[in-house]
Amino acid sequence: MRCSRVIELEKVFNDRKQLVKYVNEISPWLQGSNASSIMGGISQVERQLQDIDPIKYCRTRNFLNGKVTKLSPYIRHGMLTLDRLRNEALTLCKDPQQIEKFIQELAWRDYWQRIYQQHPNYVWDDIESYKTGFRADEYEDGLPEDIATANTGVACIDQFIKILLQTGYMHNHTRMYVAAYVVHWRRIKWQAGAKWFLHHLIDGDPASNNFSWQWVASTFSNKPYIFNLDNVRKYAHAEINTNSNDNVVLDASYEILTLSLFPNKGMKQ
Amino acid sequence: MTALIWLHEDALRQDHPVYRAAGEDVISCFFWDEDYLKEMDYGFKRLVFIYETLCELPVTILNDSTVEGLIRLAENKSCEKIYIPATPNPLLQKIIADLQHLLPVAVVEETPFVSLTKNLDAKRFFHYWKKAKKLAMQPSDS
Repeated sequence: MRCSRVIELEKVFNDRKQLVKYVNEISPWLQGSNASSIMGGISQVERQLQDIDPIKYCRTRNFLNGKVTKLSPYIRHGMLTLDRLRNEALTLCKDPQQIEKFIQELAWRDYWQRIYQQHPNYVWDDIESYKTGFRADEYEDGLPEDIATANTGVACIDQFIKILLQTGYMHNHTRMYVAAYVVHWRRIKWQAGAKWFLHHLIDGDPASNNFSWQWVASTFSNKPYIFNLDNVRKYAHAEINTNSNDNVVLDASYEILTLSLFPNKGMKQ
Repeated sequence: MTALIWLHEDALRQDHPVYRAAGEDVISCFFWDEDYLKEMDYGFKRLVFIYETLCELPVTILNDSTVEGLIRLAENKSCEKIYIPATPNPLLQKIIADLQHLLPVAVVEETPFVSLTKNLDAKRFFHYWKKAKKLAMQPSDS
């Protein structure tokens, strides 16, 4: 228990720089660094809602420069409800079927929240066994330094991690790539990766984040999620380095990757 | 009688149903609770994001421990009840449970995305979606 004097904190600042400095002062347990370009505030929600295009989202959401809403930080902290976003999206189409994928993504979040509410322990426990041919104790507990600092030597993975560290945000597809790399290429427990994401992501939510890691790991899905370099090439933009020589461990067919990453799969444990 | 609203990090907006439940005469507060924020292990970018949002809300930000601060505030302002947005976060739920031993608390649910039974038996998203799709694909009344 802390016995410090109660202080009413400031709310008015001349500019964002001054606010950031102040947050640094009132959070002495953290080594303050730079703020994200993603700004807080209800006014931001209203601004960004003007820009959503759910029909285009359905066509392009898997592309790293696709028309995603980037509203997740605002949803995470209750500034925007799934209900309101769905209602707003429905006003932008003639037929709800045109935006089914958009609404389904909101539904995924609602589903995760319901599981979290019902089974809070699922957030950190393996919900099911890994379906990778490995036992949970065959995965490492901690996140290696090279991953935490974007120095894995796999060019596109390092670029994705740098985006996370610099902005506090990642496109959903890159979250899946990085999660799969951590769990399946490096054989690290999903919990270590989930904790790391929760620290850095502004929209990090214990339910959406951790259950997605479990989905990738196969402890909350029927099979492990993996990808290859061709898949990254298909969805990435020109700034992402997808050269074979710089991404050697990803450059193979799914058949070869499955055999090399999960050599015990199908064998009796 | 003035009502006290504890706005926590899962409900940072002023049209949350908790405001309707609490009535017009309200004091709304947020606790910059070091123990809580440390436990959540949020990075600096997230803290800036939350703080920026709080600056736009009609809420007093207090640098204090949540439970003790709320009790003190309720006493000082003669508030008989604390209104709190519902949350699935076990850490926040623990704080709510601690408060419930000490003074009257009303936990107010968020506007639902789809109205389904709470204890949904859905081991995969597919099971949930089968039940939720029809409701999810149409606008709600809210």
